[in-house]
Amino acid sequence: MCSLLKKPLFLAVLWACLCGPGQLLLADWQVSPHQIELRHPESSQQVVVGTKSSDERSLDLTRLVEFSFTNPEVASIDDRGLVKPLSDGETELRIRHDGQEQLLPVVVTAWQQIDSPSFYHDIIPVLSKAGCNSGRCHGKAEGQRGFKLSIFATDPEADYQAIARDGIGRRVWAIAPEQSLVLLKGAAKIPHGGGKLFAPDSELWQKLRRWIASGTPLDETTESPSPREIVRLILEPQQVILDGGGSQQLQLTAIDRAGERHCVTTMGTYESNMESMARVDGRGLIESSDMHGEAVILARYMNNVTVCRVTLPQVGVTVERAPEHNFIDGHVWDKLERLGFQSSALADDATFLRRGFLDTIGTLPTTEEARRFLTDPSADKRSHLIDRLLERNEYAEYWAMKWLDLLRADQRKIGAQATVALQRWLRRQFRENRPFDQIAYGLVTAQGNPQMEGPVSFYSTLEKPEIAAREISQLLLGVRIECAQCHHHPSEKWSLADYWALAGFFTGVKNKTVPGFGNVLLSRGGKDLEHPRTGETLPARALGAEPVALSDQEDRRRVLADWMISHDNPFLAKTIANRLWSHYLGRGLVEPIDDMRETNPATNEPLLEALTQHMLDVGFDLKAFTRTLLQSRTYQLSPTTNASNASDMQNFSHALQKTISAEVLLDAICQATGVPEEFNGWPVGYRAIQIWDNRMPSYFFRVFGRPIRATVCECERSDQPSMSQALHLLNAPEITQKITHRHGRARRLAEQIESSDKILEELYLCTLSRLPNQKERDLMSAAFSHHQSDHRAAAEDILWALLNSKEFTVNH
Amino acid sequence: MLKLSIDRKAVRHCAGISRRSALRVGAGGLISGLTLPRILELQAKAALPTGAKAKSCIFLFLEGGPPHQDMWDPKPDAPSEYSGPFKAISTNVPGTFVTDQLPLCSQMADKYTIVRSHSHDDGGHTTGYHLLMTGHKAAFADGDNPVPNNAYYPSLGSVVSRSLGSRGPVPSYINLPHPMAAGGPGFYGTQHAPFVIDADPSQPDFAVRDLFPSGPGSSSRQRLRNQLLSGIDQLERVRNHGPAEVLSKYYERAYSLISSPNAKRAFDIKEEPDEVRQMYGHTQLGQCALLARRLVESGCRFVGVDAPGWDVHFNCFPSLRTDLIPYADRAFSGLITDLERRGLLDETLVVMMGEMGRTPKINAGAGRDHWSMAQSIVFAGGGTQPGRVIGATDEHAAAPVTQPVTVNDVLRTITTLLGIDPDRVYWDPLGRPVPVVADGGLIENLV
Repeated sequence: MCSLLKKPLFLAVLWACLCGPGQLLLADWQVSPHQIELRHPESSQQVVVGTKSSDERSLDLTRLVEFSFTNPEVASIDDRGLVKPLSDGETELRIRHDGQEQLLPVVVTAWQQIDSPSFYHDIIPVLSKAGCNSGRCHGKAEGQRGFKLSIFATDPEADYQAIARDGIGRRVWAIAPEQSLVLLKGAAKIPHGGGKLFAPDSELWQKLRRWIASGTPLDETTESPSPREIVRLILEPQQVILDGGGSQQLQLTAIDRAGERHCVTTMGTYESNMESMARVDGRGLIESSDMHGEAVILARYMNNVTVCRVTLPQVGVTVERAPEHNFIDGHVWDKLERLGFQSSALADDATFLRRGFLDTIGTLPTTEEARRFLTDPSADKRSHLIDRLLERNEYAEYWAMKWLDLLRADQRKIGAQATVALQRWLRRQFRENRPFDQIAYGLVTAQGNPQMEGPVSFYSTLEKPEIAAREISQLLLGVRIECAQCHHHPSEKWSLADYWALAGFFTGVKNKTVPGFGNVLLSRGGKDLEHPRTGETLPARALGAEPVALSDQEDRRRVLADWMISHDNPFLAKTIANRLWSHYLGRGLVEPIDDMRETNPATNEPLLEALTQHMLDVGFDLKAFTRTLLQSRTYQLSPTTNASNASDMQNFSHALQKTISAEVLLDAICQATGVPEEFNGWPVGYRAIQIWDNRMPSYFFRVFGRPIRATVCECERSDQPSMSQALHLLNAPEITQKITHRHGRARRLAEQIESSDKILEELYLCTLSRLPNQKERDLMSAAFSHHQSDHRAAAEDILWALLNSKEFTVNH
Repeated sequence: MLKLSIDRKAVRHCAGISRRSALRVGAGGLISGLTLPRILELQAKAALPTGAKAKSCIFLFLEGGPPHQDMWDPKPDAPSEYSGPFKAISTNVPGTFVTDQLPLCSQMADKYTIVRSHSHDDGGHTTGYHLLMTGHKAAFADGDNPVPNNAYYPSLGSVVSRSLGSRGPVPSYINLPHPMAAGGPGFYGTQHAPFVIDADPSQPDFAVRDLFPSGPGSSSRQRLRNQLLSGIDQLERVRNHGPAEVLSKYYERAYSLISSPNAKRAFDIKEEPDEVRQMYGHTQLGQCALLARRLVESGCRFVGVDAPGWDVHFNCFPSLRTDLIPYADRAFSGLITDLERRGLLDETLVVMMGEMGRTPKINAGAGRDHWSMAQSIVFAGGGTQPGRVIGATDEHAAAPVTQPVTVNDVLRTITTLLGIDPDRVYWDPLGRPVPVVADGGLIENLV
């Protein structure tokens, strides 16, 4: 073994000497693993051969090297580097590449003493790999064609029953295993709705066949927990830097409780979060496209998950580091440097102004505000603007609206009075800038009369303890534990036990009629819940925390709330930091923003860490945190891309465009045209962002997508344009009425201002918050010459065109 | 040197993306939720390469619950408190009977097929509607619910829109003469919401909202406006990516719709000769069916017509006799006749159904109440087998006794006929796979 390991080094040196100058120098190449042991007839070992180029690019040589065995009777290897056993014995795998050679000892002991296969450890992975138990096939709640498996093998006993016992035993047939229905169907020898899942004689087929031939044993061990239970996965490599069109073979190793390693490369399932950049096939081969950025490959095997990060940098770009306004920029520039994206220029004042207004207060700047800001010569005017925006009333109104959505304030569900009460409470939190940890504490521990100002009505929509647990977890902790209500989370560590233990905190919540206070919500007492499958009592326990004694607690939710807001809690600060980042920068560092997982890493981990720390440092002061975001150069970048960063959508090298929400857009149209919307039953002058009634009929809201407040997910608000929206903006009589209104802006400007040029400037300021450039002045002069002396008609036509411009309808 | 050797082994697959992974592009799966790929996905279609005949579907929804026994499933031998006052008459297909309230349809029973054995267990209006349009039980109680009420699951029309896209300037999914109660896009998002024609085409002042400029009267002024806007577009600073790019696409489609006289004519029902309008009947349902034909002719994929008024709890027979059934009889027969004349019946699937049937026994108020356990559906065109009767109910028309058909059977059959893979999966915002149709099989003898 030792001599083997020394050899490549010597050869590499020799080879390097032989190569002349100017040649690509490969320092060395490595083989993983160092030795191979195959102990079962269907076991296999993925060999990965790789090296790194001088600039740290990974070069996967696995499919380039030559493989051979000193004794070809013992094992075989395919052209992708997968070693399989042929007969018991010992041999060496010889790997040759460019004149170098390495030898790997191979030991096969598969047939000496064949363990009988286990349903738990050998067959469940087959069902998962073939996708039999997936949510689209037999894993569906109702099964498929009378054959039902538990989703993601949550309930192996039931799965065993379904395969080995139900269906009059026809699914497995020990006498002629090949004639078993699971094999015939799986290999599509007879018609199968799910298609051909494996070839006859393939690894999956073989495993099933041997299990059936052995009499479909359930398990060979009675120890609990089983020493064969998989406790950890190792994915190699964990990080890889690839060129466009590059590839990398992964090697997935499962470690069981007894510490034994099993190569499960062919049995794991893989998923890429960015298929447009890096795809991965069922055997763990990554292939990159010509796009640049980062992708994450998720590998899953037996309720364990792990990831490999794939970086696809742009080559030949010299990135010039822009100045840093604060710590945010440093982290962003670091990432851009690594990926080869040059950041865009700083946005001009008008773009910053409009963006700042729309993002912070959901309101367009007025003509006067725009003019004042644009002509202000002071150097720190952006910083001052940020401060002023955060003190505006609309800040509280706009953020209250956003949180009414998140807190599911559907007036038809919780009642009008309760919706108003919640809106008041939210406005107060934001106006008074109450620290977010306190807001969160208030939400979780809300009690009292839902019609009095406060967050109590949030609980009106959380009908059961488990619903409260999962909604609060997603909203405040960024953990989508919902999956674990019924099955182990497919890409996280959370299990059913975690879910139901968390739900235990909410079992004391009840409605009571208290004299003098009416119907109030209280949390008193409560009990620990049972595991829905095993029936075991699960002491209330926060995510990843130890169980706590709750017997002397009046309101068990307080224990959870204390845990949430404690400074070593990993979730709360990170989630709100990411939520705000996503709001202002157009994309979460973690996306979806409320889906924080080890397997869903941030596109810039150091930045998210720094932002989380900053949130803690400012004591959850949302205004202070927002100020930091807005002051960063990253926030203030132009949306205009350059040659190197046009394709970047995840690293903030330029400003991302954002859809303007229905309410904000309607308000903007009203403000630009100078004609307020009259909402049915509301006093004139009320703005859309102030309205709590989410059920108020409105064609505009219907077409532009107002959330119905059924979930705590921001994704509920549709950010996708539609054709009906375009038609509405182009042609709707309601908008025409505003453009031509007798008290509207177009007519007022035409009546008050003589100069067509000045009218044009006003129209640009009220819609796009900037002055027209020369080309635009030339273009728009057509309107004035068309209408000759009729400035009003010209102003109307220009206003119509501006309201339909993308620059108006998109927050850029 | 290295590059050469890579080429030698052809490590890279240039053959393109497999169908399965193409379906997953941008879908998110469990570890993302991106917006950019959704744009790409607008292009990605899921048509099955099976040579499906149907290109479009006209879905006539008789909202409220049409009485199956008074229309398509007569029970002349049942006691009169079950059979009702209407008689069974023979049709032009020997052995097939309908009630005498369907004289027009009875003469063309060789053109459509009646499924008499559809049933489900949701007797609510809005919840039943939701079930039929999505294949999933509603998560809300029956009653006054928001429209559309599908907060999560997409409607059949949205599925068709997303999977097939448009085949012309006309929107791919349209509702008329108002939004269907369960016609929304659910988690598919607004771009798969129906284009709603919120107006009654049988009215003389019928006009489609937002289709024609409401601004300046003169065409020269409208030209000026278009000139200004296209000028802005050319100077536009913010259209190269993100929502502006998507919005630009929709603007282009909106333009091509409102600037194409041909496309706009699809909405102009007044172009139809009187004789044709008569053939469909001068009723809301009739004219909606006619407009639906014009729309599918111009490339719409799914027209959902919502025809309310069928919730006949009290004294139902006079209104069934004078209004409801004759209107449906004329609209359906007119539509089939017209489609066939134009050679469009093969490529247009027509489905007429409601959210439920009605109680077997006539109630004390001389009406019939909700009954979801048995219901008749009529299918025509689009590659269906015509002239058949599928399934049967018991002697009181209370429950299927042969070939029971489920909601998912209906949805699977419709999507398959349109060439959509019913097992295709779309990913919801939580990263869960949601198949187009969760279960069910094709309705035997119909396809």
